[in-house]
Amino acid sequence: MTALLAIDDLAVSYGRISALRGISLHVDTGEIVAIVGPNGAGKSTLLSCIAGLVRPASGMIRFRGDPIVGQALERTVRRGIALVPEGRHVFAGLTVLENLRLGATIRTDRAEVAQEIDAYMDLFPILSERRHTAAGTLSGGEQQMLVIARGMLSKPALLMLDEPSLGLAPKITDQVYELIEQVRHRGVTVLVVEQNADRALRSADRTYVLNTGAVRLAGSSAELRGRPDFEAAYFGVDLAGGQA
Amino acid sequence: MSGLVQIAVDALSLGGLYALTALGIGLIFSVMRLANFAHAELVTCAAYALFALSGQPLVMAFSGAIVMAVALAVITERIAFRPLRRADPTTLMIASFTVSMLIQKLLIFTLGSRPKSLDPVPALSQAVFIGSTQVSLLKLVTIGVCAVLLLALTLFLKRTSFGLQMRAAAENFTMAQLTGVRANAVIVVAFALSGVLAAVVALLFAAQSGFVQPRLGVPLMITAFVATVIGGMGSLVGAVIGGLLVGIVTTLLQAYLPPDLRPFREAFVFALVILALLVRPNGLFPARGLKERI
Repeated sequence: MTALLAIDDLAVSYGRISALRGISLHVDTGEIVAIVGPNGAGKSTLLSCIAGLVRPASGMIRFRGDPIVGQALERTVRRGIALVPEGRHVFAGLTVLENLRLGATIRTDRAEVAQEIDAYMDLFPILSERRHTAAGTLSGGEQQMLVIARGMLSKPALLMLDEPSLGLAPKITDQVYELIEQVRHRGVTVLVVEQNADRALRSADRTYVLNTGAVRLAGSSAELRGRPDFEAAYFGVDLAGGQA
Repeated sequence: MSGLVQIAVDALSLGGLYALTALGIGLIFSVMRLANFAHAELVTCAAYALFALSGQPLVMAFSGAIVMAVALAVITERIAFRPLRRADPTTLMIASFTVSMLIQKLLIFTLGSRPKSLDPVPALSQAVFIGSTQVSLLKLVTIGVCAVLLLALTLFLKRTSFGLQMRAAAENFTMAQLTGVRANAVIVVAFALSGVLAAVVALLFAAQSGFVQPRLGVPLMITAFVATVIGGMGSLVGAVIGGLLVGIVTTLLQAYLPPDLRPFREAFVFALVILALLVRPNGLFPARGLKERI
C-alpha cells in the first residue's frame, strides 16, 4: 500500500545550519501520527517543508505518490494538505465566519460549505455566538478550535497541526485533542507536531521522536510510552552520559 | 456660511482625490508590502491616454485611460515586481522608484516635457449654486465620484469572495496562501484595481489642473503616500481616512494661513504629519499582522 505521505532522506539547512537531516517517515491513510521533540528539534521546519514554506536541501516528499517538493504554497491545500501553523494564525481582523469561509476558498460547492460551517458552529457554540466578531478577540483555545475548523473546511486528506496545545490550559488541550480524534473519525489523516509528548502519545497511533534535526526513535505510541529510552531520545541525551 | 460651504467642497474634493490615490497605493502595499512610487506614472499615463483621445466621446476616452493604467499596472507587476516578490521592502521600494523614473523619462523622450493642455470633461467647468454659494460643478462631481468609488470598493472587499481573499492576504499573505488563496491572482487584481483608481484620479485631476505633463502624478502620489503613512501603512481604511485628512488640512491651511505663509502650505502639512507620527508612529489605523509572518 502506498503511504498517504512519504518522506525520504529529507535534509533542510538554514545557511550553514543544518535543521533537518536524513528524515525518513511515512503517514498512512486514517492514522494520527505525532512528531514529538523539544524546542528546536526541527519539528516545525519539517511541517513547513511539507507545506511548501521551506525548500529542502535534498530528499523527497511524496503525497499520494506524487512528489510535492518545490510546489507553490497555495497548491498544498489544493492537493489535500491543510496546515494549522503554530501560534494559530487566525485572521484577527476578519470575523469568525469570514475565517471559516476562507477555509473553503478552494471549494465550489457553496451549499455544502454553508452546511459544514453551520455544523462547526453547532460543535463550538462560542463560534456561533461570535460569528460576526473579529477572530482576534477569541481566547487561545477558541482560536485553536477556529483554525482547526478552518483547516477542515478545505476538505483535506491530511491535516497537519503544529503545536496545537501550545499556550493552552490542560483542560482546553484535552478538548483540542478530542477534536483531533473527531477529525480522524471523519476520515482525515492527522500529522501532529508537539512538545507536549505525553498528550500527543495518548492520541497518536504512531510517534516519531525528533531531536537536533534527526529521527531518534519511532514506533507505535503504545510501545514508545513504555520504552525506557524514550526520554533519552526526546531530550537528546544518552542515559549513560553525553549526547545521543 | 458661504465661505464654510466653499471650504467644505474644496476640502472634500481634494481629500477625495488624495484618498483614491492613497487607496491605490495602499492596495498594493497591503498585499505585497510594496510602496509603489510608480503609481504616479499610472496617473500620468492615464492622463496622456485622455489627451490622445481628446475629441472622442468621454466614455471612449475614459475607457482608454482605464485600459492604459490597468495594462501599465499589470505589466509593471509582471516584469518588475513579480521577480522581486520575496525581496525585502527596501529593494521593492527602490525597484518602484526605478520603474517610476524609467516611465517618466520615456514620456519626456517620446512626448516632450512641456505641459499639454487638456480638458477631458468641458461640461464640468461651470459653477453651480448651493443655496447662495457658488461652487465648482467639477468639485462636486469629484466628491460624488470618490464617494461612489469608495463605496463600490468597500462592497467588493466586504461582500465578494475575492474581496475576502484580498483582505486575508493583506493581513497575512502566507497564511492566506495556505488556505488556498492564489497569490498571483490576488496581486494582479490589486494592481488592476490600483490602475482603475489611477485612471479615475487622472480624469478628475486633469480636469481640475487643465494640463498634462510627464510629472503630473508625482506630487499627487507623494501627498497620497504621506496619507497612507498617516492612516497606517497596509490599512485600506487608514489610506482613505489619511487621504481625506490631508486634503482637509491642506484646504484649511490654504483658507486660514496668513497670505504670506500660504506658499509654504505643504511645509505646515508635513510638520503636522511629523507631529501625528510622533504621537502614533504606526499611523491612525495600524494594519494587523504587518510584521506577522509564519
